[in-house]
Amino acid sequence: MPRLRPKAPTDLRLYWKKLKAFLKTLSLQRQMMENLIIAKARQDALHRKMEERRLRLQEEANRRFAGSDMITPEEQEQRLLYANVLEYDQDHDWPKLWKANLKKNPNDSALVSGLISYLLSCSEHPVMKLLKRLQYRVYNRLYPILPAPRGLAHSVSDASLSVSLSVSRDLNANEEDSARAQTTPPAPDRENSFEDLEQYLSQLDWSSAPDSAPSQPGLEVETYITRLEESALKDHLRAIVKDIHNAIDRLLSLCLLSFECLNTAAGKDQCVACLEEAFFCPIWRPLLALFRQVYRERELSFGASMRLYRNATPADVGVAPKLFPEDPALLPGSYPYESAVQELQHLCREFCPQRKLECIVRTLRQMLCVHGSMQDPDVPPSTAAIGADDLLPILSFVALRTELPQLVSECAALEEFIHEGYLIGEEGYCLTSMQSALSYVESLHTGKAPPHYPRFT
Amino acid sequence: MAAGGAGGSSKTYSFKVVLLGEGCVGKTSLVLRYCENKFNDKHITTLQASFLTKKLNIGGKRVNLAIWDTAGQERFHALGPIYYRDSNGAILVYDITDEDSFQKVKNWVKELRKMLGNEICLCIVGNKIDLDKERHVSVQDAEEYSESVGATHYHTSAKLNKGIEEVFLDLCKRMMEVAQADERSKGNGASQSGAARRGVQIVDDEPQTATGAGCCSSG
Repeated sequence: MPRLRPKAPTDLRLYWKKLKAFLKTLSLQRQMMENLIIAKARQDALHRKMEERRLRLQEEANRRFAGSDMITPEEQEQRLLYANVLEYDQDHDWPKLWKANLKKNPNDSALVSGLISYLLSCSEHPVMKLLKRLQYRVYNRLYPILPAPRGLAHSVSDASLSVSLSVSRDLNANEEDSARAQTTPPAPDRENSFEDLEQYLSQLDWSSAPDSAPSQPGLEVETYITRLEESALKDHLRAIVKDIHNAIDRLLSLCLLSFECLNTAAGKDQCVACLEEAFFCPIWRPLLALFRQVYRERELSFGASMRLYRNATPADVGVAPKLFPEDPALLPGSYPYESAVQELQHLCREFCPQRKLECIVRTLRQMLCVHGSMQDPDVPPSTAAIGADDLLPILSFVALRTELPQLVSECAALEEFIHEGYLIGEEGYCLTSMQSALSYVESLHTGKAPPHYPRFT
Repeated sequence: MAAGGAGGSSKTYSFKVVLLGEGCVGKTSLVLRYCENKFNDKHITTLQASFLTKKLNIGGKRVNLAIWDTAGQERFHALGPIYYRDSNGAILVYDITDEDSFQKVKNWVKELRKMLGNEICLCIVGNKIDLDKERHVSVQDAEEYSESVGATHYHTSAKLNKGIEEVFLDLCKRMMEVAQADERSKGNGASQSGAARRGVQIVDDEPQTATGAGCCSSG
């Protein structure tokens, strides 16, 4: 023992060092656990999306090939539509002419787009008739939700009422739907909801009886109703998203059936792009309105951060000082990255997912372009190039400055409707970065790290 | 863009690679070196160093790489999963003079393995070997750890342009092996319509006939 005494101070220091190292490891492990949980939830949401897609395609295939001797209503319909196409071709000359032209120059992309835009202008062509019908159906399912904003939400579940209303309207509105009735996802069952409510109330009575301090049952019931409403809206949205995917698949296949010459990789891409544009433009507003109801909480968070950071400088959201002029006088009547902000604001004025995605890509390019113009010309561009470490803070700043909380819903909708093939490339990178920046902005007003938001579940 | 690939050999592989690493480990310069080296600057896209593409030809097979940079800052970490979903490979960069950055790599490895399983090919890269005098992560530790998690380990210097080509070449070869094994297990194209793994897009260059190309040789 006495021998140890003189060494004690060094020992202490050693222990202190060890303890510090241990604490560091502990906090790292804790962070890792949190990240894992977040990642897991996100992955689950993704799996669900892929599973939904798989199921959707499976259903489609089953319907198509179920028992060759028995004709499904879809096959029947497909045949009927094809018969319509043949009839149309007999009555009109233009399809023959275009087909002959395209046969001579099969790789002429201008010819392909010419044909498609001509087709889109012929409202009597079966493809266009189908497009109108499918559009009408989606619109019909969206419409009843629109005039019922949150104002009435305090009374009995107004939104879910309109949801079930919309479904019944749907079924009445479209004769072709009756055949599909079984495959249409069931509307949120209102009777069940009431059962749940009753059960909940009885539980409430039971549990609050012995409680000396009465809680506020009215309030809890209200939150319960809100929750029911939310889940009804989500179900409805999911069903509509699925419907739209189906509609576009059907349109594409009829289009290719009508013009076999379009059935090349490039031709198909062009077809999808044009059909989508025609399909989405008139329905985007009501569709977005539904997304906005579902993503309301996130938009509110975005709004809160927006108000809190109204006068923020890029540095306040972590943009490196070298990436914007420190002296505001250098940008009279303007602010850093203003042109990128304006570009992003354009997104809400487009009505087709692909165009919106292009807008996001332009925003990012614009942002980096601004940065390029500020660079010291002596520094070679490669050493000063912007990586993700710099990109995300700038993008967050740009998103904040748009003052458009609806970007949250717009991007969520894009994730649903943009083709997976695009998501590996530059467009996908831009969309992913945009979503990350939005989540970060949403988290700003809480002062915490961004929470994890799964897709609507 | 969605379909890609034209002319030349029969197949083009498209791979997505995410780049992970703490703020100042030099991952941006690493990837820039790789994409601009030898070739001209046109490989640098309009998104500068955050998203890069590169076309390669490995053993007669064409490979398109899409390299996704991610933000290293802690406050963006929660958003990592949306970046690395559907990735075929990941390059995890640390700074050999900074032990913390190596610890971060370990965290990411665990996360990636947990989320994406063994399908994703990992490459761990110790950058800044030009500063070997200040090394704080021992070669042995790093190599042993990498082996234990099924990752390959490389040392690079973005400054001196050392070892970078090798990192990407090795990763590409391994991603191709995984993709080929995947094809084989799918039963040579007979039931291709199933749940083909996203991300690995194998594009046949000949225009598709209505029935779809039948055989799909795995060699």
